[in-house]
Amino acid sequence: MNVFMQRLLCSPALAFVGLALVWELCVHVYAPSPRYLPALSTIAQDAWSVWPQLLGGFGRTLLETVLGFMLGALFGCACGTLFTYSRWMERSVFPLFVVSQTVPVVAFGALIVIWFGNSLLAKVMTAFFLTFFPVTVNTLRGLKSCDPQRIALMRSFGANRLVMFFKLAVPSALPQIMVGFRVAIGLSLIGSVVGEWFGETVGLGVMLMEAMNADQVVRLWVVMFACGVMGALLYGLLTFVERRLVWWRSES
Amino acid sequence: MVAQRKLMASPVVPVLLSIVVLLVVWEGAILLFKIPAFVLPSLGAIVYHAFTDTGRLMGALMATLGEAIGGYVLGSVLGLLLAVLLLLVPLFERIVMPLAVAVNAVPTVAYAPLFLIWFGLGGASKVALVALAVGFTMLVSALHGLKQPDQAAVNLMRSFGAGSLKIVWRLRLPVAMPSVVAALRIGVPRSMIVAIVGEMLGAYAGLGRLIYESTQQIDLLSVWSAVLVASLASMVFYGLLVWIDQRLVWWR
Amino acid sequence: MKFMRDETLSPAMPAAAGHAVPMLELVNVWKRFGAAQAQTVAVSGVNLRIAKSEFVTLVGPSGCGKSTLFNMIAGLLAPDDDGSLLFGGAPQRNGQLLGKVSFMPQRDLLFPWRTVLDNAILALEVEGVPRKEARERARAMLPEFGLAGFADHYPHQLSGGMRQRVALMRTFLFERDLMLLDEPFGALDALTRTRMQHWLLELWARHRRTVLFITHDIDEAILLGDKVLVMTARPGTVKSETRIDLPRPRDPSIVLTPEFIDLKQRLLAEIEEESRKTFAQEGIAS
Repeated sequence: MNVFMQRLLCSPALAFVGLALVWELCVHVYAPSPRYLPALSTIAQDAWSVWPQLLGGFGRTLLETVLGFMLGALFGCACGTLFTYSRWMERSVFPLFVVSQTVPVVAFGALIVIWFGNSLLAKVMTAFFLTFFPVTVNTLRGLKSCDPQRIALMRSFGANRLVMFFKLAVPSALPQIMVGFRVAIGLSLIGSVVGEWFGETVGLGVMLMEAMNADQVVRLWVVMFACGVMGALLYGLLTFVERRLVWWRSES
Repeated sequence: MVAQRKLMASPVVPVLLSIVVLLVVWEGAILLFKIPAFVLPSLGAIVYHAFTDTGRLMGALMATLGEAIGGYVLGSVLGLLLAVLLLLVPLFERIVMPLAVAVNAVPTVAYAPLFLIWFGLGGASKVALVALAVGFTMLVSALHGLKQPDQAAVNLMRSFGAGSLKIVWRLRLPVAMPSVVAALRIGVPRSMIVAIVGEMLGAYAGLGRLIYESTQQIDLLSVWSAVLVASLASMVFYGLLVWIDQRLVWWR
Repeated sequence: MKFMRDETLSPAMPAAAGHAVPMLELVNVWKRFGAAQAQTVAVSGVNLRIAKSEFVTLVGPSGCGKSTLFNMIAGLLAPDDDGSLLFGGAPQRNGQLLGKVSFMPQRDLLFPWRTVLDNAILALEVEGVPRKEARERARAMLPEFGLAGFADHYPHQLSGGMRQRVALMRTFLFERDLMLLDEPFGALDALTRTRMQHWLLELWARHRRTVLFITHDIDEAILLGDKVLVMTARPGTVKSETRIDLPRPRDPSIVLTPEFIDLKQRLLAEIEEESRKTFAQEGIAS
């Protein structure tokens, strides 16, 4: 058995294909109620029947997610940096950040619409709210874990704090920051979907809500798959960026 | 002078200061910009309302806590057990991990409608939802932690005649503890929020249901009170976990 | 060949006794850590002088304050007020020495995200040398350090010895008159170490920088140095200065000559005494 066959057999793709086949088979054999487990083919058919709406919704939710993520990542990195270099800011503001995450943003859905209008901004805000905290925490942790011996080395070269920040602290913190980004992008997607439940017309979250209200179970599955694809896409993108940017193994 | 410096160095002062600043900004903004109560109620009004509505809030809180804690325990235990299983049987890992990753790529909220259909509107659906959210985080963290000991350490144990299970018990689990605890910590605020989100979509009881009804009735004050209670409960839950962590994992 | 044994030089001895201004001079340097009652004295009353182009080795038991001393010379720690550090005759205030001395700590501390070349030019970059020029300079030095062809490799692809050489290259490229090497070969196996010692001596013979070299290996100290300073157990001070008048260039086989063995015997006795004190200290402490 050559290498290609071996890799194929062990790859996750095979697991998925296998699962898909098992799914179809089980449904055809056991015929459970479509309310509980529709056949994969049924789901695919339904998806095809609404593909314009699905595509439009996908694009819209993707936009909200990415914007919310970028905003949250920027803010999170800035805050993380600020907290690293100002003990006082860390001690005073960071606990507030922590508490903010115990607040279920979904409760304020209606309020957010009142504040930001029924617009893209409202959804981006919801996504932002969930994103900034993991990025802050991980940026803070990454910057703080900078090797003190390397700092001493740089100092012995006569480096000032700015030079040390850009040449040492930032690269050394990148792996940890990436961890924060991974968590954040997943949460950003959740934020967008939830944000869309309140007064929107286009989006995967909207389709989810509509399907639930209209009791269209198969549609629910379609939206779930679409969300899954988006999630996979985003994680994959992040992994790609990570491999190019942060490929070195962070030393223990 | 020394007393003043000691006060400034204490960890409580900066937080108190920012809480005060927050309060001042909140109330100040309401007064200054003449913000109507339906956009942003005064903090005092919220607290007062919470006090007068205690009975209803407590009842809702109990229901939500039940779901959150139930799902949290279930998800954490299953996640940990699954991690151990995947470690012991590498074949399972190759099959299960891609699936788990795919399942996790779908935002938790997208599962809510499906779970409501599968498990009904009662508490069970929320418990399942929380378990899913918490379980996956635990699985990833635990697996990462369990895999940490290097081959040299494992070989050492084997040279003592330790079998696979003993190695897990005596070497891998203690080493994995920090990762597991990290996952447990993240899980706490998440479980409350996921429970509430689930309830907002469909439930008979709980804070989420309360928030939903109050939003329908444009009773914003109740929404804020419920959020306040949820947030406080989350923090108490978290504090409890930290306390248990310090008692139980004292050997660190 | 005869060797001479100097007594500890008194700080009162003027530099005008026919000698040029020493490159580095420590006068009554102390370093204490902690508050008044529970204080540890890491370094106590160290007096030493290093002339230009000298290769001085420093030996002592573990925990005697060698690294603390180095940190002070590199400008990372300030000596206590009762002593002073003179660099080229000029007393140095807190932090003034930063950037004036080329310092190589025990660990190679290479940046994993930088190539060999970029790691080597790190100090130059901090200095402000344009990257292109710095890279040219480093590239020219690669063969001398046995790293030809590895310019674009990353630290994790190199062996321990090679990483140490990159760190040494980084130290050399940072052109300062004084170089501090803190047990640079400590983590290497014996064979690699011997090769590196030989290679370092050749390098030093060519470039003639002033070197202060810490080691816990007496053989290494005698083989490499023009003079060997022995430090006492904690609180560390300079116990003795021994001039090494063995001829240069020094062949590895010099370790078997009677002169070498003689030197080693004397120094071994001194170090043994201090090592015993260290163990005794630790015994009491535990």
